[in-house]
Amino acid sequence: MLKDKLNAVLKIDRRWIFLALAVVLFGAIMHPLGLISNKISRDTQSAYDFMNKLPAGSFVILSLDYDPATSPELNPQAMAVARHAFSKDLRVGVVTYAAGATALIEKVFSVVPGEFKKEYGRDYVIFPYQPNAVAALTQMASDIYGIYDKDKDGKDARSLPVMKEIKNYKNVSLVVCIAGTSMPDAWVAYAGDKYGVPVIAGVTAISQPGYGPYLQKKQLKGLLGGMKGAAEYEYLIKTPGEGTSGMDALSLAHVMVAALIIVSNIAIVILKYL
Amino acid sequence: MTKNKLIFFIILSLLTAGGASAAAKKSIPSPALAAISGLSAADMPYDSGGTTLLSWDADPTAPAGTVYRVFVSSLETGGWIKAEEFGSGEKMSGSLDLPFWAWKTRPGVHEVKVELNNSFGEVNDGQVFHFKISKVGGAVSAESAAVSGSTRGNWFRLDRLNNIVMLALVTIVFFWAVSHAKRKGLFIRRIAGLDAIDEAIGRATEMGKPIYYVPGIGDMTMVSTIASTFILGEVSKKVAQYDSTIKVPHYNPVVMTVSKEVVKQAFLEAGRPDSFREDINQFISQDQFSYAASVDGMISREKPAACFFMGYFAAESLLLAEVGATTGAIQIAGTDAEGQLPFFFTSCDYTLIGEELYAAGAYLSKDPMLLSALKAQDFGKLVVMVSVVLGAITVSVCSLMHWGVFAQLIANLFKSY
Amino acid sequence: MKLIKKYIPLAIVFVFGILTLLTYYVPHKHSVNFLEAMNKWENIVSAFAFFLGLISLFYSHYAKISRKADGWGYSIFVYIGFLAIAVPAYVSHGKNMNGSSLTWLGWAFQYIYNPLSATMFAVLAFYIVSTAYKSFRIKSLQAFVLFVAAMVLILGNVPLGQMIWEKLFGWTSCAISDIVDWILHVPAVAGKRGIMIGIAIGAVVTALKIIFGIERQYLGKD
Repeated sequence: MLKDKLNAVLKIDRRWIFLALAVVLFGAIMHPLGLISNKISRDTQSAYDFMNKLPAGSFVILSLDYDPATSPELNPQAMAVARHAFSKDLRVGVVTYAAGATALIEKVFSVVPGEFKKEYGRDYVIFPYQPNAVAALTQMASDIYGIYDKDKDGKDARSLPVMKEIKNYKNVSLVVCIAGTSMPDAWVAYAGDKYGVPVIAGVTAISQPGYGPYLQKKQLKGLLGGMKGAAEYEYLIKTPGEGTSGMDALSLAHVMVAALIIVSNIAIVILKYL
Repeated sequence: MTKNKLIFFIILSLLTAGGASAAAKKSIPSPALAAISGLSAADMPYDSGGTTLLSWDADPTAPAGTVYRVFVSSLETGGWIKAEEFGSGEKMSGSLDLPFWAWKTRPGVHEVKVELNNSFGEVNDGQVFHFKISKVGGAVSAESAAVSGSTRGNWFRLDRLNNIVMLALVTIVFFWAVSHAKRKGLFIRRIAGLDAIDEAIGRATEMGKPIYYVPGIGDMTMVSTIASTFILGEVSKKVAQYDSTIKVPHYNPVVMTVSKEVVKQAFLEAGRPDSFREDINQFISQDQFSYAASVDGMISREKPAACFFMGYFAAESLLLAEVGATTGAIQIAGTDAEGQLPFFFTSCDYTLIGEELYAAGAYLSKDPMLLSALKAQDFGKLVVMVSVVLGAITVSVCSLMHWGVFAQLIANLFKSY
Repeated sequence: MKLIKKYIPLAIVFVFGILTLLTYYVPHKHSVNFLEAMNKWENIVSAFAFFLGLISLFYSHYAKISRKADGWGYSIFVYIGFLAIAVPAYVSHGKNMNGSSLTWLGWAFQYIYNPLSATMFAVLAFYIVSTAYKSFRIKSLQAFVLFVAAMVLILGNVPLGQMIWEKLFGWTSCAISDIVDWILHVPAVAGKRGIMIGIAIGAVVTALKIIFGIERQYLGKD
């Protein structure tokens, strides 16, 4: 009898698991527990430290290559990094190689610059979407204007005050690539390794483990992983945002997965020795 | 008039003398900085032009806080632009990231790369620029005489010699392997995932259900996508032979165009050109999740007998493979995106890992030349394995014996420049 | 015919493959210009290929509708979806925002594309949970190692997990974040490096096979 029940547990229709997860997530979103991640991972800390020590006026490329699908994880990262950059008076150039990112970028930059009284054209610029990332990254090594001669509104990029004395990678102090794609690999290969531009990445939690080798070799100066990375960065810049509020749902979902795995293994052990 | 001028000059000189003596009384004279010697400007080798290498003798007596400023001008006189500023202990010879075979370190010399196109835009070969250095330490400073130099584009990256040697070695082994291809048989480890292709196609034929071949979301420049088209060719040929049905939904239109040719050719080779239809290859969407949603929908509706996921995949891998698994299809996956391998392992019957995917075309076609080329791959791996072991031992020994320089030389050999 | 279908394409692949390879070793401006030109060509070819893709998409769904094939109703949504984005894009001149207000395109993007796309990615979370439930069953020693690593990573990734760890294993004075860092930076990296090296060498050999015309499946064999 028990054996049958345990077998049923092991072969449970996955739709019950889906339902349980939906209930857990819905509950956490409706009734937040207020869990805050204050243990900062080494890679988020290094990313923060690197950007924090850049002198005011340094030019940072923000490569935002995520689409609406990955935006719940990556948008909070982009917001936090943009806030940090503006609070340090850094100049920001935004590029993207994901067609779906353009509207999300506009959304981020319709909010963040205003908080720091930053002005378009003087403190930051948004470049249009480019379909061929490798071509753009290669071109920027010699002349940024070879690929980005105009900003998103068609204005001459050279004439913008934010681009003053910016010619190629030599004038770029940092690249922060927040991507749901493999764009951080491209930035490391074509800008970091080849021209020594420091690169920091922000990726989804699912792809985070894949970036270990780059961190170990210092090809990436730091890494934000998923919503947790965003929450940690928000904690560091002392501006709680979407990342921090998403940690409750994330916490409960993780614990649920752990519980399910333990339950299935207990069932296996009982079945084996029954 | 002359008398008035004389009186004015006398008064002026008295006033200035008084001022000077007052200043002399107030300030304590700083020790003068040593003059800058040995300044020279040369073209920076191994670059595309537009960069000058300035070198001059270091000053070990410079007090702490002394900085060097590098000025550059395109004019004979004046027009100086500050190009660099750094502390007196920085930018010594050897700090340039170049290997020992391409660069001779000169102790006690500063070496600075000046990127002229940062200040002057496009720089032509042979265009002459002028340089001077000033050394500033507190209130005192010293300035060098101006030197001139021009730059030119270079034709060879000597610093990448290690890379070219490795490439040459692999190429030689590759040609040796290919030219000896037909002499004797070559043992190739069995790859279960590829052996199962026949079974999967046979099953589809028996059941009268289609086969889905998903080439992933990579573009045609990616090796995994190229490898995927090789496999598609072999799979299509078998499909044509068995008179089964295949569907190839595409993310990238360039890949679709190439795949169309590959499938057409495969049907032709199998002697079934009449079975080829234009809509075997179908463009879906260049948006990752729209593509996944659409392919998932097609798989759910048509319940194929077999699904192949070969190429580059990202987050959509599990979405595709899980839906395929629920339809009960035989699933064979292959990708070099190692982050997605765990998802394929759990949802597919067989998974090809990275290089197995690259080798699959050769394995399936059984072409002796292609199979022999795999030897070059094994040789490359052997070189890496030996290098890793020897490198680890050498660096450990060097660190124990305090042979830092030797360890550096070894590290130079294996570094990419 | 053989000349056009085989020899000329192979010659193009060989010449441009070698030239592109050489650009890595030749820093001269000519080499840089060549690479830039190649990249531009690639962009142009991609743009034209996209039109081919679009034609293929419309044609195949038109055929389904006209044949009344199984699930032909879904094909109508291809056209509806296309128009729902393409028309606002045309009307709004490709702009998402007009000052601080959303344009038609911005609206379509935010309220049609955004939720649809996010839903698909969110489905992944459900699949991962059910897959994890099936996969992490201890059936061997290797599976046990995998199980332990997974549990540590799952708990170490979120504040609630960290609290549970503190309660259960706080006495060991071993922080879970340190263990997570170690797992991600040592064994995981070692495995990934091995695969990466294999892949890189495989890529070099595949490139050589293509450049020297030994692998020409993509052209058709003869």
